[in-house]
Amino acid sequence: MIEPVALEDFFITFFSSALIILAGASYALLFAWSKVNPNFRIKIAAYISYAILIISVAELTQAAQFQGYWLIISFVMAIGYFFAPIGIWHLCVKTHADQDLIKIKEDI
Amino acid sequence: MNTTGSNGVMQNAAAVYEKSRASFNNFKAWVQLDSTHLSDGRQLAVKYFTVAVILFFAQILFGLLAATQFIFPGFLYEILDFNVNRMIHINAMIVWMLFGFIGSVYWFLEDESGAEIVGLKLGNIAFWVFTGAVTLVVLVYLLVQIGPGKDSSLWFINEGREYIEAPRWADIGIVVVILIFFYNVVATFSKGKWSGIAGVLTLDLVALAGLYLAGMFYMTNITHEQYWWWWVIHLWVEATWEVLVGVIMAWSLMKLLGVRRKIVQTWLYIEVALMFGSGILGLGHHYFWIGTPEYWLTVGGFFSALEPIPLVAMVVHAVYDAGTHAFKNGNHPALAWIIAQAFGNFFGAGIWGFMHTLPQINIFTHGTQWSASHGHLAFFGAYATINIAFFYLAIQQWRGNVWMGGGSQNAWRWKWALGLLNGGVLGMTIALLIAGYEQSFIERAVEGSTWGGYFTAQNHPSFQHAMGWRLFFGCMTLTGFILLVWDLLTIGKGETRKAPAIIEN
Repeated sequence: MIEPVALEDFFITFFSSALIILAGASYALLFAWSKVNPNFRIKIAAYISYAILIISVAELTQAAQFQGYWLIISFVMAIGYFFAPIGIWHLCVKTHADQDLIKIKEDI
Repeated sequence: MNTTGSNGVMQNAAAVYEKSRASFNNFKAWVQLDSTHLSDGRQLAVKYFTVAVILFFAQILFGLLAATQFIFPGFLYEILDFNVNRMIHINAMIVWMLFGFIGSVYWFLEDESGAEIVGLKLGNIAFWVFTGAVTLVVLVYLLVQIGPGKDSSLWFINEGREYIEAPRWADIGIVVVILIFFYNVVATFSKGKWSGIAGVLTLDLVALAGLYLAGMFYMTNITHEQYWWWWVIHLWVEATWEVLVGVIMAWSLMKLLGVRRKIVQTWLYIEVALMFGSGILGLGHHYFWIGTPEYWLTVGGFFSALEPIPLVAMVVHAVYDAGTHAFKNGNHPALAWIIAQAFGNFFGAGIWGFMHTLPQINIFTHGTQWSASHGHLAFFGAYATINIAFFYLAIQQWRGNVWMGGGSQNAWRWKWALGLLNGGVLGMTIALLIAGYEQSFIERAVEGSTWGGYFTAQNHPSFQHAMGWRLFFGCMTLTGFILLVWDLLTIGKGETRKAPAIIEN
């Protein structure tokens, strides 16, 4: 059973939903960038994006009144958005096996 | 009729014909496009592109008329009613995108298969039949706006189903045209060589033609009816079209940036798996409120949360590629529109979709201008952009593979067209978002979806202002479109430098 969003939580629901996707994409972008350009600050920025994503997921969970098995969605978003860019990065490296700038930088 | 009268009519008709022919010849001399640069297959493709551009104009024109009627409800009342304008606006969009996709596939078919198109004559006949049918359907929409709902109206006037209103005879025609297209694709690959792109394309076309059949039969129960209707609307758009765009994009990445085939094909398989994995059951978000069992709330909510993952994958891959390749390319407008596709798809489908897709909030937002806001950005971002990129690829070859990269003459035109079209659509999206927010708040949440609530929301100042801004940004989109057409007709004219051949890395 679902509990509709309360009137006063409309804005926070829209905002946190949008922020989940934006923060997820920022984390993915910064994570990938930190691999191409191994810079500590970029890596920190990536983790800050992920922290924003976690806060947004928590906000959405509360505003959209997730309960019972609906909490699985929150859990999947928190875990999935963390590991998806890592998995996709490994796929990129594997599918571009003989092209090299990345390998060279990773070796350094 | 007396002989003198009929002679006069004949003479006038002949004069009009001659004048039109002279104007057409003058136009041809002005654009200086040389079809000898194109193979027969590509000549067929540019026919599809030409009609796509005309229908794109129809989409914008009827959209503007409908937008005006939101502000001045009496405008063209009982002459060209809002429901007709809205219907043609949406139908024109669906059909111009289909024309664009078919054109794009015909464009690369010979190149990809290494063989001439097998049923070229059949393909040309199908093109004229399709174009004639679309013209006839639109004329009937305009000339027969009101009438009884009989079996004959269903067959010859309007099927009455939102977004797929084409009468039954046209439905059958569309399936026949797609089957001819399917035959041409399969037979050409069979004659030449198959590839990963060819395999994905073939399977996708089976789904494209097959799913359309789900919109061609009626059921007496409205829930059952809507259940199948969404198979066409959602599964076409969020599964088969997305895959078709993936195929088109894969080929264009090889030709524009020289990305290796092995990489492109591997990623095409990954994207298809992600799209189908999340998109097919993402269908559930349309089943929330049509009377289907409650489990669809969970299925739709869960898979809708997964739908942005392919878009996030795209972000990672783009950064990976940007880090490993120095982008060098001889067709800047096409590349710019492909980049616009990546952003438009991410924002329109990803962010605008997820903002209102979970049932806890969708109970208030579905069917409001919020959906229209999402629809405008997602369709433009995901599909219009890739078609426009292909128009630029086609025009470059039509002019004999001329240089369209840095330092091209009048490059401001394509840049302004890109800016105005994207800015216009984004502006409309934000205006509709404001209107949708107000509607879901006042009409749905506060007033409980009553008629009174509907009118209160429609007359609220924020809704009215939003509609004004939507019209303004619609006009901006039209300006961008006019500039786009001007640019497509003139870009590369007089250019003597050749574009470099792009080879796989």
